[in-house]
Amino acid sequence: MHTLWLVITLAALVWYSTITVYVAIKGFADIKSMLKRLEDQSKA
Amino acid sequence: MTHFSWLYDGSIVGVYLLATMIIGIMVRKYVGKVEHFLVAGREMNVYLGIASLAATEFGIVTCMYTAQNGYQYGFAGTTPGILQALAMLIVGVTGFCVRPLRDSGVMTIPELFEKKFGQRIRWAAGVVIVLGGLLNMGVFLRTGGEFLVTVCGFDAKYLEIAMTLLLVFVAVYTILGGMLSVLVTDFLQFVVMSGGLLAVTILIIVKVGWGNLVSTVQTNFGAGGFNPFVNDKMGWQFVMFNALLNLAVVLTWQTTIARLLSAKDTKTGLKVYKGTAFFFVCRFLIPGIWGIAALAMLAPGAVTNSLHAMPMLLSMIVPVGLMGILVAAMLAADMSTDASYMLTWGSVIYNDILAPFRKKGTSEKRGILWNRMIVGFIGIFLLVYGLWYPLKGDLWTYLGVTGTIYLASMSVLLVACCYWKKANSWGATAAIFLGALFPIAFLVIEQLPATAGFAKKVGPYYSGIAAYVFAGIGMVIGSYLKPSSKQ
Repeated sequence: MHTLWLVITLAALVWYSTITVYVAIKGFADIKSMLKRLEDQSKA
Repeated sequence: MTHFSWLYDGSIVGVYLLATMIIGIMVRKYVGKVEHFLVAGREMNVYLGIASLAATEFGIVTCMYTAQNGYQYGFAGTTPGILQALAMLIVGVTGFCVRPLRDSGVMTIPELFEKKFGQRIRWAAGVVIVLGGLLNMGVFLRTGGEFLVTVCGFDAKYLEIAMTLLLVFVAVYTILGGMLSVLVTDFLQFVVMSGGLLAVTILIIVKVGWGNLVSTVQTNFGAGGFNPFVNDKMGWQFVMFNALLNLAVVLTWQTTIARLLSAKDTKTGLKVYKGTAFFFVCRFLIPGIWGIAALAMLAPGAVTNSLHAMPMLLSMIVPVGLMGILVAAMLAADMSTDASYMLTWGSVIYNDILAPFRKKGTSEKRGILWNRMIVGFIGIFLLVYGLWYPLKGDLWTYLGVTGTIYLASMSVLLVACCYWKKANSWGATAAIFLGALFPIAFLVIEQLPATAGFAKKVGPYYSGIAAYVFAGIGMVIGSYLKPSSKQ
């Protein structure tokens, strides 16, 4: 049981660090495209 | 003694707050329709959705109750997070209920119910959703304020002022930009919050030591600190209640569903579910480790309230500079949660509770004005309720019980609405009544001195399980009792 919690904790820290960087980059692109589409809609 | 420095840490927090405010207000120009205000024009993509859902579902209140779980139950306190991650993944992979919900094109769950159960059930569903949601979020501000006061070493008399200012701050950009402001600020808040959470967790593991954390749990709880089934205070009823609760949360929790309904299509919504699933393990485990570290480092006599153990530890071990990042991270977490909760529960008030009273052909401008006023009123409610409600028992259980007021019945209604042809308004009425009866009764008898002992004996888990079971039974019996239209 002790090893299981160590594995879960390590997995959580590695996954969370990776997803934070990945989402920070991709999410910014998502915001730009979302605002662009909304702007296009309001012009149409 | 806290390490919070007004010059260094205060500057970090100030810059973060200013940046959030500017970004939140800047996007208000894109709000032209009610659909923009409530579901961001359904233009949200996967990664923004993951950031927004993760930021919303982690507030200071989350950090406090998950750390309290770690302090009180050891690693076994992470069980609800694991169950929620599993529920999120299964629903994201299968599309159970959420696929037909998103495909229907509605803006709220009660709107879907109207198609199956009629207008009255839509209205009643809206009322219980708002009742459960507002009671739930009523404790957010005070708990968040307690964290900030303890960590920063402020005088407790400033708690109300600090939480009022924070709420006003959040309300301004939420009222102006609706879901668009919430999504964009959530993104910034996710990055700041995640950076702070990871940095502090690594600091704690390095300072306290993994071996020390494990031995503390072993000494204080034995095997029960690692396995919820053998923990005296948890057991199968805790696991069962949390399994039902978390499945219902994934299917019907207003802030989660708002992301699904804001997604640009069903496939995107399901990807957000799958991509965020493991975050819910982190959401319980990371502050849980902070709580265990508090148990390891603080003398038992120093902690009078288990809720304050984790912030007490942080105030002592987090150095200047990192303290500013931690406070900014926690403010980020809290602001994203408050903004989203005010907006998404407000959307049910506008879309479902006020629907019968709205004139047909209401202009988009007037609709947005109504929504802004509703968000403002919810903010006022949060201030008033948050100041006088005396919290009994542990925080996670309070949130679970108040959430169950609507989660039990709404999850039953949603499953029946999507997959059971015989389901009808009688069944829905019985499910709503029985689903709300048990948790409300528990909250009342817990507060009355004459019945408080009985409430403690029954415990929140059995009453919670009963709510789900009887809501299901009510749906089946009520639906069979209603004469068919052919007869």
